[in-house]
Amino acid sequence: MGTRLALYLGLSVLALLLRLLGYLKFAPTGVYLALGILAVGVGLYIAWRKPGLLCGLSPLVGLSALVGGYFLPGVALFLLLGVALSYYGSRDSLSERDQAAVWGWVLVWPVLTLLLLWQVFPALYALWLSLLDRFNFIGQTHFAGLQNYFILLRDPLFGKALSNTFWYVILTVPVGILLGSAVAILLNERLWAQGLFRTLYFLPYITALTAAAAVWKWIYNPEFGFLNYLLNTPGLDWLNRPEGVWASLLKPLGLVPQGFWAGPSLAFVAVMLMSIWHILGYNIVVQLAGLQNIPREYYEAATLDGAGWWQQHRYITWPLLSPSSFFLFTLGLIGAFQVFTEVYILTPTGGVLQDTLTVATYLYNKGFRDSDFSYASAIAGVVFVVILLLTLLQRWVLERRVNYEA
Amino acid sequence: MKPSPFNLALIYLVLGIGGLVMVFPFYWMLATSLKSPQEAQQAQPVWLPQRLQAVNWGAAWRLGQQGGSSWWGGFAAGHSLRFHIYAPQGVPPQVRVPSPPGAFSDPRADSTLITVSYQGQAWVITLHNQAHESFQRLPVVILLSKKYSTYQTELAPDAVRSSGDNWRLELVNVSPGLLGYIFHNYLAAWEAANFARYFFNSFFTAGTQVLGGLLLAAMAAFALARIPFPGKEAVFALILATLMIPGEVLLIPNYILLSRLGWIDHYPALIVPWLASVFGIFLLRQFYLSLPQDLFDAARIDGASYLTQMLRIALPLSVPGLVTYGIFSFLGAYNALLWPLIVTNSPQMRTVQLGLQVFIGEAGSDFGALMAASTISILPILIGYFLAQKQFVQGVARSGIK
Repeated sequence: MGTRLALYLGLSVLALLLRLLGYLKFAPTGVYLALGILAVGVGLYIAWRKPGLLCGLSPLVGLSALVGGYFLPGVALFLLLGVALSYYGSRDSLSERDQAAVWGWVLVWPVLTLLLLWQVFPALYALWLSLLDRFNFIGQTHFAGLQNYFILLRDPLFGKALSNTFWYVILTVPVGILLGSAVAILLNERLWAQGLFRTLYFLPYITALTAAAAVWKWIYNPEFGFLNYLLNTPGLDWLNRPEGVWASLLKPLGLVPQGFWAGPSLAFVAVMLMSIWHILGYNIVVQLAGLQNIPREYYEAATLDGAGWWQQHRYITWPLLSPSSFFLFTLGLIGAFQVFTEVYILTPTGGVLQDTLTVATYLYNKGFRDSDFSYASAIAGVVFVVILLLTLLQRWVLERRVNYEA
Repeated sequence: MKPSPFNLALIYLVLGIGGLVMVFPFYWMLATSLKSPQEAQQAQPVWLPQRLQAVNWGAAWRLGQQGGSSWWGGFAAGHSLRFHIYAPQGVPPQVRVPSPPGAFSDPRADSTLITVSYQGQAWVITLHNQAHESFQRLPVVILLSKKYSTYQTELAPDAVRSSGDNWRLELVNVSPGLLGYIFHNYLAAWEAANFARYFFNSFFTAGTQVLGGLLLAAMAAFALARIPFPGKEAVFALILATLMIPGEVLLIPNYILLSRLGWIDHYPALIVPWLASVFGIFLLRQFYLSLPQDLFDAARIDGASYLTQMLRIALPLSVPGLVTYGIFSFLGAYNALLWPLIVTNSPQMRTVQLGLQVFIGEAGSDFGALMAASTISILPILIGYFLAQKQFVQGVARSGIK
């Protein structure tokens, strides 16, 4: 009985979801009828097995809600009233397991509905959008197959965004993890004022990126910025330097790398610097939690064996921190594809020649400035696949090296 | 292992330098927010702004008192104000109230009656509000001959520029009051943009999102941890699978969904899409799994339904977990920029971060006001952090164990 009630509930909720999607013109209005009829059928079956006023009323209510809902979307909500009637009609004969089945689903459905509506369906819809030729709110769209993806492959700006993302990962993630681990190790030495230090390092992370970027933009200011005063480089416009840093560094040696190998622009390096500053507190807290999981005995044993401070951290701490380092690396990798706020505040116009373009800013520009939702969805699709592959690859390569013991 | 004193000193040194680098932007933000425009735009950084120097506080208090209020200043109708310039007698200073389109000008200040006389050791500039209207700021420009070798103004000018044979002394407000003087940029920023509304929007949407999200996540987590129902594994797998969807993929379709719902530029657009949080479900599920089964069995024997078990046992026991997750999700909602940027258009719907982003574009080179606005925007989170430090750090650390 419990399973039947859960089924009745589930089918009704899904029918409702489909009714909503129909109302929003994502699907033909009629499609919800199929699930609704199934739901009412289950209601009928329950009424047949458990005759009574409430249970008998339930399919009637359900059917009228279904039909009424076809014309007036709100009426479909009464499908749930039908389920409730069935539940109250058969409540006295519900076993412990039936109760569990019903209540388990009742408690899970709200979240599940939201996830289906705002995550699962949109993800699939984005995939569909990326296959249309040019979707925005005006004009006709046509199915274009993989056309957007082919254009994307040859899009120099997307290449720029990807190479920036690549350099971002290469430069910020390892530096962030190393610095974070180092500070965490030092902080873990049972210091006086440990809390104070932790606060100092942690504050940037809880600060909103918008405000933080505003401050950094001020620090990077070419005329009055503090950084130029500190480095004694008056007038250096950090955020307006499009040439690649590798190219600038290697120029004295007579080497001029081109394109991708010219490296990220100085402006993007400035963005990275700020990002490291911002994320460091998080890395430290995660690594501190990792450190606290390492048993003290290991260090005591190592001390007895005559291992020094450096050796202990090299051969005990670092390997045993690898799970949390691995976690931070994965997170940094995924985060690199989502760098938006820093870039948007520091270089609102996208920098000189779009030199600070990231995948997220490109997606935003394409979708919400150029109103080309299909192309933007194609970018999102590529990001989805790349992140998925990278995560899988990472697990495959690193899992055997990462030490999960202790 | 206990480090040797030398190593310990080294550790403190390294951590101290690192800590200084980490907090420097905060110091710089705060310092700039208290500077006058001219101080902010110095090649040599000004470490201690004039507005923080006690010498000026007395004058600000006195002048504010004459204008209307010792704390907040202002220039009330019928009030007179005496501003001193301590200098030997010579060419009288020329005084005027800057008119639009000058910066910091107030049209209501135009009818101010200005008289200059030499009394005792100083030039006394008497300003009289002969209009029937009170107003907050009285900007003044004083042209003082460069022939004066020494002079001392009662209140330090906000800017001193060279103008032909004169020094041009500018005061953004000659009747500031003590707080009005120190926090001039904050008041300017607060008035320039509707931050009160932005704060309401941010707190309302983030608060609703957190409370609703907590309830929904707690329900689902309780069911997944404590109720054996058919299909549980499938539900769990689905929830796990949504973790694989990067946030960017959802931007466009969710925007379209919202626009078809007619929710663009309305509160639900900021709240509803992110109500269901997989992270919260995992965190709370972990919590509920760690509670002893006996507790629930005992309640069951006493006749408690699953709903009662959840409300009376699981929820009260998981308050630390709820707080942790609540802080974490509030932080995310409050600090978000991209989503509010996409789903709102009108100024009344801006959140604090979006308002700040717009303000950054508008403020131009008024760095003091810009930094003041930035400080205002992060203040609630900083206060929250110092009130609930442990929960903040735990909330972040726990996210690492998902």
